[in-house]
Amino acid sequence: MLVKDVMKRPVITIGPEATLHEAHRLMWEKGIRHLPVVDARGELVGILTDRDIRLATSNLRENPLPCDAKVYEVMTRPVLTADPLDPVEDAARLMREEKIGCLPVLEGKDLVGILTGIDLLDALIVLTGATRPAGRIEVLLPDRPGELTRLTAFFAEKKINIHSVLTYPVADDRVMNVLRVETLEVRPLAEELRARGFEVVWPPEKPWSR
Amino acid sequence: MVPVVISPRYLAYDFGPDHPFTPRRLEMLKSLLEAYGERPLWVEPEPASREDVLKVHAERFVRRVEAASRGEAGADLVHYGLGTGDTPAFPGMDEAARALAGGTLEAVRLVATGKAPRALQLGGGLHHAQYDRASGFCVYNDLAIAIRWALDEGLRVAYVDVDVHHGDGVQWIFYDEPRVLTLSLHESGRYLFPGTGFVHELGRGPAVGTKLNLPLEPFTEDESWIEAFEMVVPRALEHFRPDLVLVQSGADAHHLDPLADLLLTTRAFRHAFTRLLELAEAHAGGRIAFTLGGGYSLDATPRVWALLYFLVQGKTPPEALPEAWRRHWEAVLGEPLTPTLEDPKPEFTIPRRAEIERRNRRTAERLLVLLRDFSPPGKTGSSGSSR
Ligand SMILES: [Zn+2]
Repeated sequence: MLVKDVMKRPVITIGPEATLHEAHRLMWEKGIRHLPVVDARGELVGILTDRDIRLATSNLRENPLPCDAKVYEVMTRPVLTADPLDPVEDAARLMREEKIGCLPVLEGKDLVGILTGIDLLDALIVLTGATRPAGRIEVLLPDRPGELTRLTAFFAEKKINIHSVLTYPVADDRVMNVLRVETLEVRPLAEELRARGFEVVWPPEKPWSR
Repeated sequence: MVPVVISPRYLAYDFGPDHPFTPRRLEMLKSLLEAYGERPLWVEPEPASREDVLKVHAERFVRRVEAASRGEAGADLVHYGLGTGDTPAFPGMDEAARALAGGTLEAVRLVATGKAPRALQLGGGLHHAQYDRASGFCVYNDLAIAIRWALDEGLRVAYVDVDVHHGDGVQWIFYDEPRVLTLSLHESGRYLFPGTGFVHELGRGPAVGTKLNLPLEPFTEDESWIEAFEMVVPRALEHFRPDLVLVQSGADAHHLDPLADLLLTTRAFRHAFTRLLELAEAHAGGRIAFTLGGGYSLDATPRVWALLYFLVQGKTPPEALPEAWRRHWEAVLGEPLTPTLEDPKPEFTIPRRAEIERRNRRTAERLLVLLRDFSPPGKTGSSGSSR
């Protein structure tokens, strides 16, 4: 999954000469918290967040800025950005490490999108959810070559489509694999997988069924 | 006497010997009723027409089903959910699926036109079939076809689905339609096929608040299932005031079912069927039709549906199973069958029982809160909001 698959566009921007009052009103009207600042030549020169405005104008501060202060006085720069072809996880890691809420997306010098924390939550929902009817099966595999192939070959042999796979490492050099498979018959499949030596976590065995 | 809709054509809806959705379930049920000496008013329905089917399904999908039905193997069948492991193509599948849809149509027509107070269709309940895709053993959505007919007659329909799987096909087909209430109780889609049916799926546009889902935890038992049912179903039906109730009576939430993880006994089914009859009496002029549905334990499924039969007929269900019937089917299946119509009290060891009950209660509460937020009382087409 790439940044271009989850970013939002077109991007709402503001000029560096605009006032904080104008920036605040734009955020309020559009229901957004981040404004990339773009100069007359269309170049990204900074980023302004609702938090920047609140802190700059707060009465709790020694010299609060007036409402007609200019955006360029408050904005953050240089701006951390993403490329449309960056993997989503790279963008997420950057945002996490720098503790920032958004990344403008630049293709060369052109601002082509914006990626926020909300977009990353959307990505998480897509990665873990089902967009087509499917059942869930969870299998622990040893972390070594060929294991996932062994598992997917089993479903291919049954003519069952794998709709999505989510994998993540767990303890003891093993990898959890959450598969969304387009079948109602997950339980019988789990039994067969167990018989072939796979460690199936979900669905569990039913000791009470006969 | 309550008419029972059935046709020998239903037996042709057969995906092959090793497939769980086997017509043997119908054979066992029909022979069980006969062994009990039951002689209801059998009604043999006409198959649904191509036009009936097209009121619900895309023509490009219907053309694929017809081709598969003639034995033509198109490369794109799989894009329409056909020829997969779950829903393999078989000769005559179009006719067989239309036969089942015709039965559900007939049951709904009998009730809607006042020819019968209630009706039981001994087949159908193919709730996974989608607008342009077969899914989960379901080719044509007989329920949606019958609901569409009722809508065209100007009726409001409440659809209640107790199958262990989410009634996704019916929900999505009527997702924008405020005159159809869909209410599905099922094992959570977090674990089970089809992966949908969460409380936040409430309908779209004018239909918000008319699509209700109670996703329950795996290993839910009778008490907790009944509690969730009682928290939501009576309120929803009272508020929606349907002209007609259609029930998908899948039996796969039973603890013996091989495909799912709920732990119901016949007690929960008896409760649900009895209450739905009462609620239809109270809020829908008594007009209610039942179809079958999923149910893959050959021990439990015929018993759950025989119980349904007796309750719908207003008869007291007998305690024992007919001895000769049981011996015959034990020989055919090569396994022992429960000797009573209802289950003996089961002994499950569920370490998480309290947690399961708490989570189910919270799910029902969340649904009620969402309904209050989304459907102000008195709004046309809204339902289920607690006043
Ligand atoms: Zn089912």
